Amino acid sequence: MDVIALQNLFYQAIWERDAASLEKLSKKIAAPPNLTPVESLAIYRGNVIGTLTKTLISTYPVCGQLVGEEFFEAMAGKFISQYPCFSPNLGDYGEEFPDFLANFEPVANLPYLPDVARLEWHWGQVFIGENTKELDFQRLAKVPQENWGDLIFHLPKNGVLLESTYPIHRIWEVNQPDYRSNEIVSLDEGGIKIFLWRKGYDMRIDLPNEQEWALLKAFQGNDSFEVICENLGDVVDVGSLLPLFVQRGWIADFE
Amino acid sequence: MMTAHLPSQTLELSALPKWQLPTTVKGAGIGLRSVHYQYIITEKPKVNWFEVISDNYFYAGGLPLYYLEKIRQDYPINLHSVGMSLGSTDPLNFDYLRKLKKLAARIEPDFVSDHLSWISVNGHYLNDLIPLIYTEKVIEDVASRILQVQEFLGRRILVENPSPYLRYTDSTLSEWDFIQEVVERADCYLLLDINNVYVNAINNQFDPLEYLNGIPKTRVKQMHLAGYEDKGNYLLDTHGHPVHPPVWELYKAALSRFGAIPTLIEWDTDIPDFEVLMAEAEKAEQLLQKVG
Repeated sequence: MDVIALQNLFYQAIWERDAASLEKLSKKIAAPPNLTPVESLAIYRGNVIGTLTKTLISTYPVCGQLVGEEFFEAMAGKFISQYPCFSPNLGDYGEEFPDFLANFEPVANLPYLPDVARLEWHWGQVFIGENTKELDFQRLAKVPQENWGDLIFHLPKNGVLLESTYPIHRIWEVNQPDYRSNEIVSLDEGGIKIFLWRKGYDMRIDLPNEQEWALLKAFQGNDSFEVICENLGDVVDVGSLLPLFVQRGWIADFE
Repeated sequence: MMTAHLPSQTLELSALPKWQLPTTVKGAGIGLRSVHYQYIITEKPKVNWFEVISDNYFYAGGLPLYYLEKIRQDYPINLHSVGMSLGSTDPLNFDYLRKLKKLAARIEPDFVSDHLSWISVNGHYLNDLIPLIYTEKVIEDVASRILQVQEFLGRRILVENPSPYLRYTDSTLSEWDFIQEVVERADCYLLLDINNVYVNAINNQFDPLEYLNGIPKTRVKQMHLAGYEDKGNYLLDTHGHPVHPPVWELYKAALSRFGAIPTLIEWDTDIPDFEVLMAEAEKAEQLLQKVG
């Protein structure tokens, strides 16, 4: 058997759990004396599934807290069976988990879970994302006033805007390992808009109000400042909010 | 020996300075894991060198890279990869190699290593070190891929011997004969994992000393030591325990054959306090000094 055929067979046997492939591959294997070929292959399957499960556990710790370890591992197993890994880097694995949860019937009674998972995924991505630069005030000061309308302001490159109809920031907060209270979060607290970003190496979960949210969205759309003022001028006090954004570090660059 | 055609002359690649393996790393080192960043930065423990899993630092920024570069200011750091998939039939993943090359430029390691195994097929990654078939054809293919990797990275790499839980009936060579041929043809070096040799020898019932004697002396540039887990009917390479006594014995035999080769204490699961790793490294250091 050539190498490509054998590697495909291996994949079919241990990932797809295809019985015919397992039987065919077993005949190609000389197992250690104390193991059968099927037991040898099971070690590899155990390693593969175990590694991906551990990856999901470390990416989604709050989801794990919410459903319990045993349930999470079973749920991870279901996810893994539907989503192979397409990257050599385990840090890339599990992005589809929030969408999977949204359609996973056994957690339908936890409707906030997919959004909590989304927050956790992006938390991990922001944590290792591009480092934030501070706004270059001197360069900004040199822009003639008549050209301000042409400026395009950029949010920190690692920033993410998230929206949920559930208080996911509170659910996330009370499930952190260092949270010292038995507080219960009520879903009646309502939905939330979150700007998740990193200031230097400090992770930030900021909670913009409606006007700030609209302006953040507009900056994210890369429109010129003039267009943004035209579009939002009636509902958002852009002139007052811009200095506030700069002060908070929400504006990292411009062009 | 591979040759490179330069504008005015033809040179052996091994003669080019970029292919020489640096030799700043000596003695026993410790695998650097995130739980120990703060301790190392604050306490600055006496450690000769560290090694990291390269793949954990392939990102644009963030704290892991910050800590890595901070620790690099005080210690040599080597890069150990798990994603090259050197034995795969897939095309080489140059996106992965580009990230590795960029990281190597930042960290300036002495050694860049990966494993003699495959982890992907048809772009699906199993993220486990799956064994190779030991045949002439596979030697040719794997050596060719290692040569391509080395060309791309502009440096020789080290390849690590696996701890397979099976062998294929199509294999026509012993693992040590296979390794010997691969490293010679690829003109690369070997990271000899002593725990893997032992686990492999017990599981597959061969004499580990025969294995060591089959490895070419000049190609071994680094060693790994780790702990296995006894599952009753086989040993599992978990990197979650202290180095076991028979592995220390085999290590002594390896030092007699290969000399005082830089040696890493690897610990990846149930990671203990840093002092425990220091004690393991100290044990290796004493043995290294006896032969050094």
